[in-house]
Amino acid sequence: MTVDPLTLAVVSGGVVAIAEEMGWALRRTSFSEAVREGEDCSASVFDADGEMIGAGNYAPGHLGTSPTAVAGVLEAYPRTEMRPGDAFLVNDPTMNSGHFPDIFSVAPVFYGDEIVGFTVVTAHHVDVGGAAPGSQAIIGIVDIHQEGIRILPVKYFSEGRPIRQVLDLIAANVRIPDQVVGDLRGQFNANMVGAAKICELIDRFGPETYRAATAEALRRSNEAMREHIATVPSGRYEFIDHIDDFGPDTEPIRMQLAITVGDGRIVADYTGSSSVTRSGVNSYLAFTTAYTLHAVLSVVAPRLPLNSGTMRPVEVTAPAHCFFNARYPSPTGGRAIVARYLVDGVQGALAQAVPDQVAASSSQLANSTIGGVDLEAERPWVYYDLTFGSTGARPNKDGCDGLVSGFNTGNIPIEIHEAKWPVRIDRFGFIPDSAGPGTYRGGLAVRRDVRNLADLARLTNLHDRHVYPPWGLFGGGGGSLGRIVLNPDRADETDLHSKSIVDIGPDDVISFRTCGSGGYGDPFRRDPDAVLGDVAEGWVTVEGARRDYGVVIEGDRVNEAATAALRGMR
Amino acid sequence: MRRAASDVGGTFTDLVLQDSGTGHVTIAKVLSTSPDPSTGAISGFEALVAAAGVEAGSIDYLAHASTVASNLVIERSGPRTALLTTEGFRDVLHLQRQKRAVSHDLFYDKPDPLVARRDILELPERIAADGSVLVALDEQRTADLIVEIVDRGIESVAVVLLHAYVNPDHEHRVREIAGDVAPELLVSLSSDVSPKWREYERSSTTVINAYVKPRVSRYLDGMQASLGNLGVSRPLHVMQCSGGLATVEALKRHPVTLVESGPAAGALMAGIIGRASGRDRIIAFDMGGTTAKVSILQGGEPQMVEDFEVAPTTKLRPGSGLPITTPAVDLIEVGTGGGSIAHLELGVLAVGPESAGAAPGPACYGYGGDAPTVTDANLVLGYLDADYFLGGDLVLDTDAARRVIQRDICDRLGLSLEEGAYAIHAVANARMANAMRAMTIQRGFDPRDFGVVAFGGAGPAHAVSIATELGSREIVVPTNAGVISAMGLLFAPVKFEFVRTLVTRLETGSLERMNEVFAELEERGAAGLAEADAGAGTSFVRNALMRYVGQGYEVAIGMPAGRLATADVDATRTRFLETYERLYGYAEPHGDLEIVDYRVTASAPPVPFELPRIGRDEASGDAAVGSRECYFGDIGFVESTVWDRYRLRGGMSVGGPAIVQERESTTVVPPGAVAVVDEWQNLVVSVGTTP
Repeated sequence: MTVDPLTLAVVSGGVVAIAEEMGWALRRTSFSEAVREGEDCSASVFDADGEMIGAGNYAPGHLGTSPTAVAGVLEAYPRTEMRPGDAFLVNDPTMNSGHFPDIFSVAPVFYGDEIVGFTVVTAHHVDVGGAAPGSQAIIGIVDIHQEGIRILPVKYFSEGRPIRQVLDLIAANVRIPDQVVGDLRGQFNANMVGAAKICELIDRFGPETYRAATAEALRRSNEAMREHIATVPSGRYEFIDHIDDFGPDTEPIRMQLAITVGDGRIVADYTGSSSVTRSGVNSYLAFTTAYTLHAVLSVVAPRLPLNSGTMRPVEVTAPAHCFFNARYPSPTGGRAIVARYLVDGVQGALAQAVPDQVAASSSQLANSTIGGVDLEAERPWVYYDLTFGSTGARPNKDGCDGLVSGFNTGNIPIEIHEAKWPVRIDRFGFIPDSAGPGTYRGGLAVRRDVRNLADLARLTNLHDRHVYPPWGLFGGGGGSLGRIVLNPDRADETDLHSKSIVDIGPDDVISFRTCGSGGYGDPFRRDPDAVLGDVAEGWVTVEGARRDYGVVIEGDRVNEAATAALRGMR
Repeated sequence: MRRAASDVGGTFTDLVLQDSGTGHVTIAKVLSTSPDPSTGAISGFEALVAAAGVEAGSIDYLAHASTVASNLVIERSGPRTALLTTEGFRDVLHLQRQKRAVSHDLFYDKPDPLVARRDILELPERIAADGSVLVALDEQRTADLIVEIVDRGIESVAVVLLHAYVNPDHEHRVREIAGDVAPELLVSLSSDVSPKWREYERSSTTVINAYVKPRVSRYLDGMQASLGNLGVSRPLHVMQCSGGLATVEALKRHPVTLVESGPAAGALMAGIIGRASGRDRIIAFDMGGTTAKVSILQGGEPQMVEDFEVAPTTKLRPGSGLPITTPAVDLIEVGTGGGSIAHLELGVLAVGPESAGAAPGPACYGYGGDAPTVTDANLVLGYLDADYFLGGDLVLDTDAARRVIQRDICDRLGLSLEEGAYAIHAVANARMANAMRAMTIQRGFDPRDFGVVAFGGAGPAHAVSIATELGSREIVVPTNAGVISAMGLLFAPVKFEFVRTLVTRLETGSLERMNEVFAELEERGAAGLAEADAGAGTSFVRNALMRYVGQGYEVAIGMPAGRLATADVDATRTRFLETYERLYGYAEPHGDLEIVDYRVTASAPPVPFELPRIGRDEASGDAAVGSRECYFGDIGFVESTVWDRYRLRGGMSVGGPAIVQERESTTVVPPGAVAVVDEWQNLVVSVGTTP
């Protein structure tokens, strides 16, 4: 059946709007700061065949792996056993976004007696038990069962009512059960909001038209994606980068990526990369695929929606047991730092093909956790930090200062963190002279100083690019290196390893410093007035202007003669 | 009782006066003035009372709306402003929340803040989350920084200290010190403007307040004084973004609520018209000289939001603008109005957002405008009558319009004059259709379920084509369509919202505090209404914003009036669980609940609505007053009947192609469409059933 263009627009736009609204409902009903403030979550809508037809503006790692979660649930639970108001959980990295903390809630959508689709609502849960508060430790982890509770597809809501045994079992195995179970209820709330809205949409058009419209939208998305890929010169583009290590005194992890473009398809192959590590950092293929796909879409087709139609022309491969295709029971709790390499790697490779459509390397996130025990209340606490930096320089403009790249999540307000956990934030701001210089400079590094107020707490770090800085493109310089400093400006100031686990006491301050991001083009060609503006705003120092850009600034003006001389000397 | 209202837009200032005895309405429309829009508003007011033949002193009630605050933010044309914040947190305003408004666009940028980093200064002080003082305010440093700010030539400062929503003492002390050291400095405290947690959103709101304050204060004082000189003795009521009117004094304290306030009045009036004529679901489409605004109304009530964004960097994407945390009518504004300039971007025709405004104005105004605008295109296409623009008050120069369109568009794109003009009209329509899609489809509504109420000076010339593109079957063009927002001001309620954040468990032990807080808020509400001269028959609506203990967002639960007793605790709990289940499909029955915000809305009684009649002599004679050639895309030029709107009577119908003219606006009825005059004098255009 053919669908008129307006109905097509209303239905295909409608399912995206529903996904956005589901995410909004999740944030409104959730308990954890990670979800309701950081938006470390996602929501998406599927058709009856398990194809993704609409995704909200949420975490790409969660969205890109949601089809796998639907497939996993359908394999475990036949459709005939499903009822309206049922919902299922899964957090196994073979079916989710690559680590236990991301619990996916999959629910069928019934229209009358018929399943017309599924909704998926994902949330990063701040703790799912295991060896370390936050369940993201890297050091000392040798298999996945040290990383917390493993949930293979299991029904947790039945016909609109919670299945107490399942929720109780989860609650008993995590450190902050009120938040975890509260968020699981919020995920179910969002599933139900999605189901109600989808039924309203079908009420208007009838199930047949709805089905035809969603199928047509996928077909057109697929076609448009192939057309966009066809604008990229065919060829094989390689890129190599390194993750610092997987603990003190360990080797770098090599990422070797080859992107082949041709015939309306893109194949990303990670053959040649390091093998899986015996640590909490590894990447399962679903996660590798999700971020590779996100980056391809960003470079090749930024205006197309994410759905099964746009996903299909992109294939991601890696040999089994390669770092980028870890298999059970490889641990993977700390896989968040890998996303940075996947996103930047695709851009680094495609820079050779479409230099005007890529950005230089962006800041790594610092995603450390502080946990301890409230002895009076006799219960554990977990503080989840998300410190993001900035994005890499672009062919026509600077990187964006203080914007996340890759993860589409936000920071958590200081006032909300302090109201909940025994911490105080002493400082949150940019680090001058940290941006990779270039004709267009990268974005600045960000510093967040967190003071522990509890008697005894354990800091589990999850950071990277303390060794290999974010790279620039076409003559642009790299960004500053990341650091984690214990007790800055004090006699006991210590640099901590990016994956270290450290016990800390009251008034210990941990200063998270992301790396800066990379520049684009020769910095000595940067407009001296732009450098002057950066100095006036405090982004670049007078010394930095001279050293990195060859611009001599005196007072509030550029010394043009001295600048020309300095730039000419190189 | 004589009531008058003025609505300052980017291009025109609209004024209306209604005599409630006779119901007659007098209208004036004048060009807005820049940089001081009060000049135009005052001369318009003089013209209005002269046309009505009444003394300025006999006006009993005056309402006003203005784009002055929105424009300052959108154009970044406000004065240099400073921010004082807690030491260590200078960059909160620049860091923002770091999330992307669009996931996979590498070229996306966040909005630039209104304060430069060099003008953000840090105060040694610190308050903890529980309100206790960790570091006392360094008063000497505070005084020094205030002197420093004044020395930089800055006249307005925002003060945003961490956790000031719990304990505002330090912010209050900063204001006292500023009062001693620099009494002229305008100070906006976050604990006053937006006493809610989340430091970035509170900073953004407070900074916008500080940024627009100097200009808005001067503007409102100037208006009040000039009206006084004309003999007006009544105070001015000013529209807020919530759709409620407030006093000049209240607006000078919190000018941030003036942002997006004019469109709110238009939305209210569209709702009144829709409800009066039995239409439940309405898209309000308001196209003026500078921008077009789209909002949605159901049951006559506009969709409201708890917070909104101004000046988005990325078209129509939530998250890309500057957040303002204050209740507002939900609307989308795009830079497409009659004065929007057509130009080529990389060889492709684009319209707006740059506007010729009132000065120099469209080329056809003959005021020196030399760029082709939407109005110029509409004139060339035959939609506008050169001799009957604003009823003939402004004679349009058709040759000038032809010349600039030919030169800037047609010659460069290889189009005929008409093709070029039509392309401008169509590109503008496409942008506005996108805004309507964003307001409907992206929010889960089907535009086909809605009637469009089209108004604003330019709205009726574009609405039928746009609505057709979206599949809406019915377009209502009210009488006096060109001044609907001003009309809305006449019927808007005086309304204040008072909110207090005080986290309270929902349990009997809290009853005393709950009663205290509501009583205090109602006292403030009564005082506000008394200040606004609206004492009699006032009403208070109470809401408790509630959540499960541990959540971060709340659900508004209506609360009964009077003293709350033990039974109200259980009843409130039940209402919360029912509301939560309805909204989210499931409510955990045993969770602990808390009230976060107490809110009281104090309103004066609504002004009884009478559908206004046209305040001129009833025109008689044949309503079809002539014909002219109008150009409709593929069809080309067609002879189109020209109708005088004032001579149309209920039940008459007008078949397209036709042009219906009234003084302040012109309705284009394309071929195939039919317009019927309903019993309320609305022109109801039907466009068939297929999109």
